Amino acid sequence: MPEDLHSRIALKLEAVGPSVSIGLEIKIESYFDVVRGIIDDFASKRRMNCIYITSSVPSATLNSALEALEANTEGLRFIDCVSHTMMGAIHRVDNTVFVENPSMLENIILKVEYFLRLAGDKKTVVVFDSANSFAIHNDPKMLSEFFTIILNSLKAREAYPVVLMIPDQLRVEVKEMLGMVCDVIMPIDEERQP
Amino acid sequence: MAMAREREKCVTGIEGLDNILGGGIPTNNIVLVAGSDGTGKTTLAFEFLVRGAVSGENGVLITTVESKSKLLANIPSLVFYDEKMLGKQLSIVTLKEMIDGTDKPFGKADEPAMDKIIASIEKLATGAKAKRLVIDSIDTILPDEKEDRLNTYFLTALSEMLHKHGSTAILVSKAATAESGIGSVVDGIIQMSNLERKGDLLRTMQVPKMKGTAHSRAKYVIDLTSAGVLVTTLLKGGI
Repeated sequence: MPEDLHSRIALKLEAVGPSVSIGLEIKIESYFDVVRGIIDDFASKRRMNCIYITSSVPSATLNSALEALEANTEGLRFIDCVSHTMMGAIHRVDNTVFVENPSMLENIILKVEYFLRLAGDKKTVVVFDSANSFAIHNDPKMLSEFFTIILNSLKAREAYPVVLMIPDQLRVEVKEMLGMVCDVIMPIDEERQP
Repeated sequence: MAMAREREKCVTGIEGLDNILGGGIPTNNIVLVAGSDGTGKTTLAFEFLVRGAVSGENGVLITTVESKSKLLANIPSLVFYDEKMLGKQLSIVTLKEMIDGTDKPFGKADEPAMDKIIASIEKLATGAKAKRLVIDSIDTILPDEKEDRLNTYFLTALSEMLHKHGSTAILVSKAATAESGIGSVVDGIIQMSNLERKGDLLRTMQVPKMKGTAHSRAKYVIDLTSAGVLVTTLLKGGI
């Protein structure tokens, strides 16, 4: 097993395979390693597309961070649900669509569908960043319905759905809900323990 | 129990709508696409024609409000639309062009004026071998919702003409509703709306009526994209 976290994440995701919804338990300090692992080590190196739905960090920030890490972002598409809420200047870029706020869950489903249609038959990883920030903006029942619909739809299309979650900061009811809607809950950082 | 015989369908090609309609619009139906400004009526109707053109069914769009260039400029650029379709599989004409340049063809909306319009539509549809017809908007032709007799006269004549040619029509309207006179005469209604939820505005679509097919009557959320009109279920949060 490789030492670095981003490589380990890619191997773990590959072992699980497509059509399985994964709840990826992460720690805040390993956030960028996890993002790099999914986008660069897993999706890019296996020539897959990646749809990254962010409700926590603006897409421009993630783009800059990935650039600094020299990650390949060719097949990366962002659904940015946070930049509009910050009321700052929105930098329109080709690989990004914006949703006004993370509570417009139907619009997020439709934007995912949009990118999947443009991608055609190409395999796709779909990342939800993160369950914590979605839970801040949405009622748990609504969020449960959202994840049930979109994760089932992605599984039916042989995609790789990954929901990022920071378990220590999740309300119990949201944690239980994720346990129900995800097929696998994967605690990544435990891998570091001897 | 006896089951109703399934009618032949005009597959719109708009995947979400075809799912709602159980496969498509029953052929020869006149469908009212109703809704206020900005709800996606014109985009939906245009995609109906472009999808038809792609699948080998010619279409005619009669625009009664906007010019051709303005209409095309305001519609999202569909990835499956090709300008080369224009004048071949897809014809776009203004109302004025359709009736041979006469500026005010039906100053008075009466039966002879309606006959003249129907004759012009038939000539146009026959020439284009159209299986799909869109009138955007019907409010210009049938300006008075209270003129039930005249509206029925026009729609009956249009229905006969469509039946003769095996065509299916969409009539776009801002004024008509499911409860209005026109709404009660047409074969189907696709209601486009804006739904406000906690300050957010969602575009929605609902089919309260469609003769000749078993269909969903639920409300759906839509998005207008370059990949076409996309449709998803309206989340209710377990309520």
